[in-house]
Amino acid sequence: MKPKTPASASALDRRSFLKGIGTSAVAVASVQVGAMADEINKAAPAPALQGPGAVPVSLTINGEKKDFQLEPRVTLLDALRYFSPLTGTKEVCDRATCGACSVLIDGKLTYSCMKLAIDAQGHEITTIEGLAKDGQLTPVQQAFIDCDALMCGFCTPGMVLATTALLAENPKPTVDDVKRACSGNLCRCGTYPHILNAALKASGQAVTETVTVIHHGSVA
Amino acid sequence: MNPFQYATATTPDEAISLVGKNGRYLGGGIDLLDEMKAYILSPDVLVDVKSVNPLLGGKANPIVFVGHTGVPGSSVCNLESSVTIAQMASDANLQKYYPGLVEAASEVGSPQIRNVATLAGNLLQHSRCWYYRQPDIVCLKRGGNTCFAQEGENKYSSLFSGCACISPVVSNLAVILTALDAWINIRSKGKDQKISVDMLYHSAWHEPFAHNSLKAETFLTGVSLHTQRNRSAYRQISEKSSFDWALVSCAAAGNVANGKITDARVVLGAVAPVPYMVKEANDFLEGKPLTDETASKAADIILKDAKPLAQNGYKVPLAHTLIRRTLLALNS
Repeated sequence: MKPKTPASASALDRRSFLKGIGTSAVAVASVQVGAMADEINKAAPAPALQGPGAVPVSLTINGEKKDFQLEPRVTLLDALRYFSPLTGTKEVCDRATCGACSVLIDGKLTYSCMKLAIDAQGHEITTIEGLAKDGQLTPVQQAFIDCDALMCGFCTPGMVLATTALLAENPKPTVDDVKRACSGNLCRCGTYPHILNAALKASGQAVTETVTVIHHGSVA
Repeated sequence: MNPFQYATATTPDEAISLVGKNGRYLGGGIDLLDEMKAYILSPDVLVDVKSVNPLLGGKANPIVFVGHTGVPGSSVCNLESSVTIAQMASDANLQKYYPGLVEAASEVGSPQIRNVATLAGNLLQHSRCWYYRQPDIVCLKRGGNTCFAQEGENKYSSLFSGCACISPVVSNLAVILTALDAWINIRSKGKDQKISVDMLYHSAWHEPFAHNSLKAETFLTGVSLHTQRNRSAYRQISEKSSFDWALVSCAAAGNVANGKITDARVVLGAVAPVPYMVKEANDFLEGKPLTDETASKAADIILKDAKPLAQNGYKVPLAHTLIRRTLLALNS
């Protein structure tokens, strides 16, 4: 794209400049003040266009406010992994398909790869690092360990957050509820039956001996 | 993604002026960022429009029933353009009066997508044809000379099209909203207008480059439902049982009383660049009982002009089945 003049910067400068001299120009002939007021009004409604260079971005991550300087094109995933030390959130497909980058935004499960960091301002972001408190794992995290619900572990942060989001809304999910809640997360190792059991265990329900994960749909 | 500027709008007019000629509106961002990451789109500005709530004047719930009479199917409902798919899928009133809409919303993407994707974004999402989405290929829809799907991998392509582009409409909501005779509210050049869902997509039928009919300096402000039908249903068949695009989808709506249907609408998705409805089939169903026989005949009428390609012939019997299933679902 062709770089655009940052309109915000020019508008803001113009506005503050005019306002600045406006205050010192009280004694100036009224005709001039009027003209100046018109100029201020013309400049004032210009809505802020930010970027394309780095701009201040303030995010609330795991209860802590963190300040960044980010281009508007930086995703929340990249802000977490490359602009802060929170690498628990994984990058795999980067296209809203695999769920490895899942985080909670205001408690809602979200793909951080498809969320711009600048657009995540003003919301509570919870990453996998924000679940355990004082070294104490959450019931979901503990259930994943107890049920051996991971192999390579790369999908695990996303799976744990998907399960956490489910149990927050539905404390006693059925097997089908779990499948649906985790449908946006892929596990290449195929630990789905164990993940399903971990979700049931974390919700205080009996784990199943055998789990059919794949439905073979029929066409009547 | 290429660099861009970012802004937030609070009114439709502000959004239109900020987005300019080469900008894009940002809702959930699922479809938009996907295209930007593939360099299919490189807008110079993204305008966050999630705070633009023109219909409701700042009320908390983006789904509002107006002039509700208490009789099922006789409500008027306004949906904010920024309402998320998850909000629609879990709304008790929508479930009661427009169950087909809730069924269609529930089948969209994954929980992560439904939590952020918006009504407007779902309606205005771009083609999923893999030739269109492949960054290294300039297909007909992207301004090239050739629709590579015509002679290539066309398993997911359309059975019907009015132009050389055969990428089908993939919005679930477009299909059910067509069946519900929804109005699309748009704002353009300082004026509010209502158009039909058919109007929203008709350009895509004739013009290979078009995903929809909306022109520049237009903002989709929301959707209004005024239908008086007591039944609606949506069904789709996909390769995966969840988080998958429909191979074929079908929506139906009508008034069912004493075992007979009136004011029927049957619409297919994923088989044409637009939600595909055949008036003759709707007329055929008028006053008929909903049986496998009548549903089958309606399906025959809808599919009679299908032009299967080398790999998508399976969509014809699939659509036939789905029309029958969806119509019969209106019985209960």
